[in-house]
Amino acid sequence: MRKLNVAIWAETRKIRKSKIFIITFIVFTFIPLMMGLMMYLFQHPELAEKLGIIGTKAQMFGDNDWVGYLSLVNQANASIGLIGFGFVTAWIFGSEHAGHTMKDILALPVSRNIILAAKFIVSFAWCMLLSLVLLFVSTTIGLLIGIDGWSDTLFSDFVVRFIVSALLTLLLASPVAYIAGLSRGYFAAIGFVVFTMILAQFSGVLGFGPFFPWAIPGLYAVASDAEGMVLFTSSYIVLILTFVSFYLLTLRWWNNADHH
Amino acid sequence: MDEVIRTEKLTKKYGSFTAVSEISLNVRKGEIYGFLGLNGAGKTTTIRMLLGMIKPCSGSAYINGKKVSPGDTELGRNTGYLVEIPYSYPELTVSENLEIFRKLRLLQDKTAVDKVMEKLNLTQYANRKASHLSLGNSQRLGLAKALIHNPQILILDEPANGLDPAGIFEIRELIKDLASNHGVTVFISSHILGEISRFATRIGIINDGVLIQEINTPELEILCKKRLIVNTENNADAKSILENSNIIAGINNQNQLEITDEKLILNPGVVATLLVNSNLPPSMLFVSEEDLESYFLRTIGVKN
Repeated sequence: MRKLNVAIWAETRKIRKSKIFIITFIVFTFIPLMMGLMMYLFQHPELAEKLGIIGTKAQMFGDNDWVGYLSLVNQANASIGLIGFGFVTAWIFGSEHAGHTMKDILALPVSRNIILAAKFIVSFAWCMLLSLVLLFVSTTIGLLIGIDGWSDTLFSDFVVRFIVSALLTLLLASPVAYIAGLSRGYFAAIGFVVFTMILAQFSGVLGFGPFFPWAIPGLYAVASDAEGMVLFTSSYIVLILTFVSFYLLTLRWWNNADHH
Repeated sequence: MDEVIRTEKLTKKYGSFTAVSEISLNVRKGEIYGFLGLNGAGKTTTIRMLLGMIKPCSGSAYINGKKVSPGDTELGRNTGYLVEIPYSYPELTVSENLEIFRKLRLLQDKTAVDKVMEKLNLTQYANRKASHLSLGNSQRLGLAKALIHNPQILILDEPANGLDPAGIFEIRELIKDLASNHGVTVFISSHILGEISRFATRIGIINDGVLIQEINTPELEILCKKRLIVNTENNADAKSILENSNIIAGINNQNQLEITDEKLILNPGVVATLLVNSNLPPSMLFVSEEDLESYFLRTIGVKN
């Protein structure tokens, strides 16, 4: 346990001092700010018309109430989370290669398995923090601009869905970590994240979204009863199996690949 | 355990290319083993196999009698290493980088970072970001990471890269001190024989992945070619005179006489007397010794 704590400390230290850490928080603050601005403009179409920013007929937030707003926040959490979490994971696992520091962590008294576990734990913590920032900022903005239709039950249901959706997205970290190792950097891993996001859209259209791991968090967040968008127990099993199998593949790669 | 590092027919192939071919060597406790070769000769691949970073295709490496396997934490405990160009976490300062490795090496001594910075003259750069270090100081930081836990085995891949002459001297003295006064076993690669021969106790020369020669450093001088160089007013006549006395002499590209007979190299007076008595006194006569770089290049077949 001491070794894991040490490895977590080391990983935390590395990311805390990196510019990318701050940048991700700025992005995850900026997005709900923009959503809040849009919501405000929908509430005040005369202002939007005067500014010529967006069409006043758009009904992005449903009835411009908390139901519509929180639903969009949930969708944002799933889609931005998929990219954002993927980016964070790609950076945590790929930067050791890109920065040529990988060799320094391969022959230590702390095993590679523990360092790998620490990297996953730290990336999960980082991603959850980003989600919490998104949750906090979007809620605060919603309250500040005075959206109608607030209810405690609605909000608590939203928070549960929001957190579970983020946790489901986290399970998609292991394939990114594997690609980052395999490609010895973060570019291919980020490319992989974008590619899977596109595939997730197609999977929804083609109707196999509930069984396509990268579409599952999004479908959970949307919570629609429409055909092809309902999740099954097997959907969650697919997602968990994806995480476990790619975690094991990453572990195998760290332990058995030639590290040049 | 006297034999600290040992390899048995260590081989690494990439497709049809053989990077390292059946290298068998051993390094004893307290020895400084210089691993010499040109760029691409297979030095780094061998070092990475010693550290479990690359899996050999065949053969094995042993550290302290234990077979090296990927991620062996015991190996990590006793060994300090620097492989190729050292890189550090660019956004962290020198001391923060070292603190990470103090923790990852499970060191309780909180002064370890300060001590190693002092040892490598890095104290004044303690709060400087690694990305702002000069090449020489980056190299020192890499060495500091390798030395922070006072390892009993040091595996260093071209540690003098980027260092100025004073830095090279400091590192050389440090390594000599570690080996002779603290019993540290050092395996150090280089492509400069002249440098490595100053402190290595034994030298292995690798070329095209093959260990072609192992020499105890004191033997190097014997192996370097010596020649007796003679110059007279008429070297063609002098050559004939010498040949009449059964002395074989060649003419080098500077039109000087060159004699390789070991007995005459030890007694050049014999040649001088013979030429003086033949009214062709030498205007120049000296023993030329091949330098270490020439010896190295000749050994690997780059230079005749």
